[in-house]
Amino acid sequence: MGESGGGGGCCPPMDLMRSEPMQLVQLIVPMESAHLTVSYLGDLGLVQFKDLNSEKSPFQRTYAAQIKRCGEMARKIRFFKDQMSKAGVLAKDLVEKENDIDLDDVEVRLGELEAELVEINANNDKLQRSYNELMEYKLVLQKAGDFFSSAHRSATAQQTEAESPRAGADLLESPLLQEEKIDSTKQVKLGFLTGLVPREKSMVFERILFRATRGNIFTRQSVIEEPVIDPNSGEKAEKNVFVVFFSGERAKSKILKICEAFGANRYPFSEDLGKQAQMITEVSGRLTELKTTIDAGLGQRNILLETIGSKFELWNLKVRKEKAIYHTLNMLSLDVTKKCLVAEGWSPVFASKEIQDALERAAVDSNSQVGSIFQVLRTKELPPTYFRTNKFTSAIQDIVDAYGVAKYQEANPGVFTIVTFPFLFAVMFGDWGHGICLLLATMYLIVREKKLASQKLGDIMEMAFGGRYVIMMMSLFSIYTGFIYNEFFSIALPLFAPSAYDCRDASCSEATTIGLIKVRDTYPFGLDPVWHGSRSELPFLNSLKMKMSILLGVSQMNLGIIMSFFNAIFFKSKVNIWFQFVPQMIFLNSLFGYLSALIIIKWCTGSQADLYHVMIYMFLSPTDELGENQLFPHQKTVQLVLLFLALVSVPCMLLPKPFILKKQHEARHQGESYAPLEETDESLHVETNGGGSHGHEEFEFSEIFVHQLIHTIEFVLGAVSNTASYLRLWALSLAHSELSSVFYEKVLLLAWGYNNVLILIVGILVFVFATVGVLLVMETLSAFLHALRLHWVEFQNKFYEGDGYKFAPFTFILTGNEDE
Amino acid sequence: MGFLVTTLIFIVVGIIAALCARICCNKGPSTNLLHLTLVMTATVCCWMMWAIVYIAQMNPLIVPILSETE
Repeated sequence: MGESGGGGGCCPPMDLMRSEPMQLVQLIVPMESAHLTVSYLGDLGLVQFKDLNSEKSPFQRTYAAQIKRCGEMARKIRFFKDQMSKAGVLAKDLVEKENDIDLDDVEVRLGELEAELVEINANNDKLQRSYNELMEYKLVLQKAGDFFSSAHRSATAQQTEAESPRAGADLLESPLLQEEKIDSTKQVKLGFLTGLVPREKSMVFERILFRATRGNIFTRQSVIEEPVIDPNSGEKAEKNVFVVFFSGERAKSKILKICEAFGANRYPFSEDLGKQAQMITEVSGRLTELKTTIDAGLGQRNILLETIGSKFELWNLKVRKEKAIYHTLNMLSLDVTKKCLVAEGWSPVFASKEIQDALERAAVDSNSQVGSIFQVLRTKELPPTYFRTNKFTSAIQDIVDAYGVAKYQEANPGVFTIVTFPFLFAVMFGDWGHGICLLLATMYLIVREKKLASQKLGDIMEMAFGGRYVIMMMSLFSIYTGFIYNEFFSIALPLFAPSAYDCRDASCSEATTIGLIKVRDTYPFGLDPVWHGSRSELPFLNSLKMKMSILLGVSQMNLGIIMSFFNAIFFKSKVNIWFQFVPQMIFLNSLFGYLSALIIIKWCTGSQADLYHVMIYMFLSPTDELGENQLFPHQKTVQLVLLFLALVSVPCMLLPKPFILKKQHEARHQGESYAPLEETDESLHVETNGGGSHGHEEFEFSEIFVHQLIHTIEFVLGAVSNTASYLRLWALSLAHSELSSVFYEKVLLLAWGYNNVLILIVGILVFVFATVGVLLVMETLSAFLHALRLHWVEFQNKFYEGDGYKFAPFTFILTGNEDE
Repeated sequence: MGFLVTTLIFIVVGIIAALCARICCNKGPSTNLLHLTLVMTATVCCWMMWAIVYIAQMNPLIVPILSETE
């Protein structure tokens, strides 16, 4: 519940540092220009409307009918899209901006087109079904014809055999009417049915027919080689042609029912050969006719879909826009006179002129006699936070917002994060070979920015594309730290000067036991190349990187505390300066700032003092003599003073602020102490809801005290734990360099040692895949994550509150991308 | 000596970068201040890292002991 101080006196304003000043505006719009006004404000995209009708249900609102209309039109458009994608027709991209299409015209046209399309589809389905049935009939005619003709042949063959007895091989196919040959007097009238049955059911079908008719039937089946399109389901199915011979009406009815149950389609068939041939030609003729009709129908449908496709995007956009406009209009409240609508919303102060222009244009374009009224309301509500970002800064701002949106007008950590985040990433990633690979990858994304922005990318590519500028910064800093750590795919190169170390004597006999000595000046830029691959590399590098992490960490934390100072100045809160900023600075710097100073002094003087010992005994026995751990004169006195300051600053952080706030609150509400007694008692315990802008501010002392206690404990304990947390900079950079060195030595050099081209090629491939997969992808993500954590927790908990809400203006730009 | 020279070089590079930023993207005082802040932060970060590594090697306590193979 801070009052908005309204501008810091100390520093000039900086872009992106604080939210744009926002104001609550009220627009009074006459009914006839309401639609156009909202449309123009949507184009402008700088007003966030408040819902003034929140207690009404969606059906009670003014424009519910219009929304239903738009929903109906959206449904038709989705139906068209479905049909178009099924037929493989693409919607043409939106090229011209047609502003003046009327919603009613679109509605009528959509209705007509939908009816036409539905009719064409139904006709097509019917024709297709007939076509499939005829195809099946043709197959039945062919196959059944084969049965009968082969049986006929074998029957005549049997007859000739009976007449001229001779020993001959029996035909594999026994004649169908064998019984007739044996006993021609008992001629039973046989009926038959022909049809198609699905192959997987064919055995069951036969068996059930057999059982149902007590074995008094005879079936023959023949397999159809290719799958056939079933007329009922429209899908391909494997089928068999069957012929069933039965006698009697009861058997026939049973067989009919069984055929229906199995979904076996029956087709008429005549025994006469001549008629068969005639049927086959007739069916073939009808098939070709149907085919042409169906093709014509499909052609017509495609033409219809093309016409739809040419206007599809236009209508789609229009319907979505209208729907959004009506939703917004539903949020406006109706004035008592029912002649105008009242809108309330947040907008940035700089946009006042543009909003007023839009209102005027809408009034003119809608030919209304009365103009709209624009006025600014005063309120104590917390405005939304709005940062004006460009494509470069929006990625970082999103990262910061992911943790929490900045409270209105508090300092935005994003400003420094733009640089420190890639920098800390690079400290963990340092290798200029890998940095160059990362840079190439991201330059590809940046160069093809325009083209990739309009395409629909997969989820992962979308994230990588959105963060392309961040990744570019990360890669540039990585190249820099790669030069500092002197690692190029883990090879160290003496690029700037010869190494500073050399043998102690001409024979170099002690190089592997005692080591080299420093003969020349310090290597000017970065790590001396002689360290790489030496036996004492790790002790030296670990010590260097750990101390570097501490130094960087203490710097970043100091920056965080200084940001809280800026916040205190901006919000004009003296309490926060003297009883939060100052004690915090003193505490952090008297302990960890002192440690940083000791590190630098030890490096500069080359002393052999043990810093762990110094720090720990500073607390345990501060009055002891330092002996060989003395780094500078009067160190003991300095340490005692710093310890005292640190101990004094803790109660300074804890105690004064709650009491001072209480006194300030009492001073502010001096005049209200004359309210009746009951009310004063209640007001101290009542919860205020966020919407009450004229509510009585409550002050619960115990709550404030506990809050301050928690804050103090968090800071004091956090000072130690956060400083230690920065050691992850050391840990990850060690992991990166070790992995890189393993891949280089154990893969590439090993493959090189064999002097075999094939092994070399395999080795190079493995090296490339391992580098890309493990180092460029996994290590990047890992270092990204840890750098992010360092920012979100260690940096931001020194000053950031992050409990605001983001400015979400009403705009049409997003509706192009939603698939609603 | 080498330390001071290189520190001066960093300062000069920082100033040049700030001037370049001012020349090529001059978009009003608050934006200019943002660009200046970014350039300064980047320069300070880079200098700090270089300085740490340089100072650590000025008076080393450990010397490199070469490994057996070469």
